[in-house]
Amino acid sequence: MDRIIYTSMTGANASMQRQAVLAHNLANASTTGFRAEMANFRAVPMQGEGAKTRVFALEATSGHRSAAGPAQTTGRPLDAMAVGNAWFAVQGLDGTEAYTRAGDFQLTAQGQLVTGNGLAVLSDGGAPIDVPQGAELVLGGDGTLTAQLPGQPAQAIARLKLASETADTPLQRGDDGLFRTAGGEPLAQDPNAQLRAGMLEGSNVNAVECMVGMIAAARQFEQQVKLLQTAESDDKSAGRLLSLTA
Amino acid sequence: MMNSLWIAKTGMTAQQTNLDVISHNLANVSTTGFKRNNAVFEDLVYQNLRQVGAQADEQNQLPTGLHLGLGVNVVATSRKFTQGSLQQSENNLDVAIDGKGFLEITMPDGTTAYTRDGSFKLDSQGRVVTSNGLPVAPGLMVPPDTKNISIAQDGSVSVTVAGNPQPQQIGQLTMSSFINPAGLEPVGQNLFRESAASGAPQQGQPGTNGLGILKQGFVENSNVNVVEELISMIQTQRAYDLNSKAVQTSDQMLARLSQL
Repeated sequence: MDRIIYTSMTGANASMQRQAVLAHNLANASTTGFRAEMANFRAVPMQGEGAKTRVFALEATSGHRSAAGPAQTTGRPLDAMAVGNAWFAVQGLDGTEAYTRAGDFQLTAQGQLVTGNGLAVLSDGGAPIDVPQGAELVLGGDGTLTAQLPGQPAQAIARLKLASETADTPLQRGDDGLFRTAGGEPLAQDPNAQLRAGMLEGSNVNAVECMVGMIAAARQFEQQVKLLQTAESDDKSAGRLLSLTA
Repeated sequence: MMNSLWIAKTGMTAQQTNLDVISHNLANVSTTGFKRNNAVFEDLVYQNLRQVGAQADEQNQLPTGLHLGLGVNVVATSRKFTQGSLQQSENNLDVAIDGKGFLEITMPDGTTAYTRDGSFKLDSQGRVVTSNGLPVAPGLMVPPDTKNISIAQDGSVSVTVAGNPQPQQIGQLTMSSFINPAGLEPVGQNLFRESAASGAPQQGQPGTNGLGILKQGFVENSNVNVVEELISMIQTQRAYDLNSKAVQTSDQMLARLSQL
């Protein structure tokens, strides 16, 4: 049988995986601080004996879109949006320092500052942040957390760690959806990083682009299937030619 | 079968939950002391099909990997305890809280529940109760010949009875606050219960420790912002549409495949 079916199968398979990436982005169109996953096709020439006549297609994800998502004003004092390419440092479930753009901070019953899904938010010293009971909390533009207890002067209790991604230390998404550096070593505190309190960053998924990508991938898939059908009919014709009873 | 079908399904489910939360907020737009909720989303785990940076051969590394996300998940509904506006009610058993605290209510099983709804009534025995008939903690009894009830900012309740111009104090309202009010468990009827996430109640007299003061003759309106909810509703519907489109496209691809 013609080898074209294997080549076009890789194309069809890659389009299906592209759909998965696009569907994942669309599914997270309302996830706070979500970074869209970027996808690209890779050409892989077949290695081996004989002529290199075939190139397979492979779907690959080449990281995340780094543009900031839209700002949504919530008015809640513990909601924060990181400005520019700054990230909030949190402690991942594996104990390592990880980064997120989702700034919907909460307090635990023990008074620890955590993210919406319960991970400890880290201070510039790399430690979890504890706040006093009954305090009125205010987040400053540079990440300073001020607590005011009734009848006492306001007091800065910690500064959130804000780290910036640089060209040398790009952040990559882990399997848990948090971002880390390639080598896993923590980023340094960025003294110039800023946040905006009372706001949340929306998802940076571009719905138009996703929809168009989805249509394109579906059409591409159809083309691959068409190729498979062509291969089949070619094979049939060849079979007829070679048939003894024709 | 096809990953994208199931991924888009998580998106549709999440948006549906979001709409449930929004509808509940809108339904309670006139509920005294109601605090609005928001659904919180999180991306699901990623499938690492091809590790980025793996060796393609002895000299070369893969420049890109294949990292497939598996959709979205609703992780929480986060309650916003911002202050609602105060509305004059001209009922002198109504109190509104200006601050962070909660009034305490004794439940039928003897436990304490917490509320921001201070629209109190009298029952046939003269007890101060909520609109659902649950007594305020600690119990307040109003004498039968009471002419006037006054509730002070600090929670002390006094009455003047017929034939005596001197007001008499009959009790004291206390309030509680929680380190993480968002962790309180809502039980309906405008009541919340303490949970492991909320922390223990910090009890005190109104006006102390940031509990807030009481304002007699006012009720606290719901803090639902109708404009915001409607915008969220539009966004939710569109996101739902987009995800259903993804289901449709995936289905068409599958149909095409089965025609082979």
